[in-house]
Amino acid sequence: MPYPTAPADVFGLWVAWLLMLMIYSYPLYKENPVFRFAEHTYIGVMLAIMLVRTSITTTINMVAPPLMKGRLDYIIPIVLGFMMYFLLSARYRWISRYPIAVLVGAGFGLGMRGVLIPNILNQVISTITPPATGAGAVDWWNYIYIAIGTICAVMYFVLTWEHRGAMGYATRLGRWIIMIGLGAYFGNTVLFRMAMLSGRAQFFLQVLKIAPM
Amino acid sequence: MSEEELTFWEKLARIDRRVFYWILFIGLMIPFIHPIVFPIAISPSTRDLYEGIKEMVEPGDVVVMNIAFGVDAWPECMPAFAACTKLLIKEGAKIIFWGAYYDVDMTYQEVLRRCEDYFKNLKYGEDYVYLGYYPYQEAAVAQLAASIRSIFKTDNYGTPLDEIPMMKNVDKATDIKLVLSGDTGDVCDYYIRQWRIPYGTPVAEIGIAMLGSSYMPYYRSGVLFGMSVGVRGGAELEKLIGEPAEATIRMGAINISHILVVIAVILANIGYFASRRK
Repeated sequence: MPYPTAPADVFGLWVAWLLMLMIYSYPLYKENPVFRFAEHTYIGVMLAIMLVRTSITTTINMVAPPLMKGRLDYIIPIVLGFMMYFLLSARYRWISRYPIAVLVGAGFGLGMRGVLIPNILNQVISTITPPATGAGAVDWWNYIYIAIGTICAVMYFVLTWEHRGAMGYATRLGRWIIMIGLGAYFGNTVLFRMAMLSGRAQFFLQVLKIAPM
Repeated sequence: MSEEELTFWEKLARIDRRVFYWILFIGLMIPFIHPIVFPIAISPSTRDLYEGIKEMVEPGDVVVMNIAFGVDAWPECMPAFAACTKLLIKEGAKIIFWGAYYDVDMTYQEVLRRCEDYFKNLKYGEDYVYLGYYPYQEAAVAQLAASIRSIFKTDNYGTPLDEIPMMKNVDKATDIKLVLSGDTGDVCDYYIRQWRIPYGTPVAEIGIAMLGSSYMPYYRSGVLFGMSVGVRGGAELEKLIGEPAEATIRMGAINISHILVVIAVILANIGYFASRRK
C-alpha cells in the first residue's frame, strides 16, 4: 500500500501515530495526563462503535424485517432484552434475573451438545492411541509423555484420597506437568504480545516513512 | 541499602523496567529497517493446514473464512489469513467472508488489499462474498450452521442472498466445504461445537500464538485438520505458498524480542541468586 496522499488519510495516520505514542508514554515513561486522555478516548470510541454496530446489526437487520412481516414471536427476545436494564434499578433488579437465566440456560445447552466428543472422547482416544508404524523416537516420547502427563495431572485433582505414598509421587509429577503446561501457555502469551508490539514498532516507522507501508 | 553498596549483579537485578522496554521497542524496529531473515522450518500443524486445503478443496467448493480477530491482532493473524485466502483462490474455492468482531469491515478490506493481485481476476458475488458482522457468538454460529439466511438476509452491501449467484444453493453447514477461523479468542471453539461435531464440516484454526497450546489438543486428536500459530504460522504459510511477505520479516522482530527477553531473564536470575548468596 502506498503512503496515503489524501489530506484526511494523512491526518488520520498522524492522529493514530500520536495516540499510539500517548499510550506508550505510560510504559516508557510513567502515568501522565496525556496517557489518560488517549486511554479514555480509545475506550470511549471503541464502546461507541461497538454499541452502534451491535445495535444496528441486531435491531435493524435481524429483528425489524421479521417483525414487519408479522413475526410477533420476535417480540419475546426484545422484551427479554429490555428486562436486562432492570439491573440498573435496585428495587426491580429481580426482573433482570429472568433474561439472565434464559441466557445462561440457552448458552449452557448450546455449548454442551458439542463438548463431549471433542473435549472428552477424542482426547481420550488421542491419548491412548500409540503412534503409527514407522513412527520416530520423538513421536514415541510424545506419546509416553502425554499419556503419563495426562494421568498424573488428572490425579493431582483427585482430592478424595490423601496425596501420600505412590499417589504422592504421581500427584507431584502431575503438578510439575501442570506447571510446564502453564509455562508454555505463558510463553505463547509473551510471543503474542511481542508480535503486537512489533506491529506498533512497524507502524511507528511507516508513518515516518522509514519503513515501507 | 544505598546504591553504592549494591554489587554489580544486584544492580543488574534492579534495572528499571522502562530501560528494558526502550531497548525492546527500539530492537523491534531493526528488522523493519534492515530485514533479518532466519530460516523457517515448517511445523506439522501448519503443513496439515496447507495440505488439508490443497487436498480437500476442489474448484467451485464454497469455503467460509471467519474473521474473529480485530485490527489490533493484524500483526499476528493477518499474514496467515491472507496466505490461506491466496491458497484458496489458487485452488479455485469460492469464499464467504464473515466475522464476529465489530471492526470486521476493516479487516475484510485489509484482506482484499493484501491479496489484491488474486482478487482482481475474481468477480464479487460469483467467486467471493462478504456477509459482514454477526453478533452473539455461539448462538449465532449455531444458527449459521442451521441456516445462513436466518442470520444474514443480505450481504454486507444490502443485496439479498438469493440474488447472489454463489449463494444460490448455499445455506447450511453441509453446503460448506470447510471453515477457516482466524481467532484471538474462543470463536473456533464454537465452530468445533456447532459445525465440526454436529455436521462434520472440517475446521482449521488461524490463531494468535497464545491459542497455540489451547488448540493443540484439538489438532492432535484430529478435531481440527490444521492449525496456524501466530506470526510463526504466517511465515510458514508464506513459505509454503512461495510468497514471503510480512510475517517472514516480522519473524526477525520476534526473534530479536525473544533474544532480549531470554537475556533479561538470565540477568535477573543471576542477580537474584547472587543477592541471595550474599
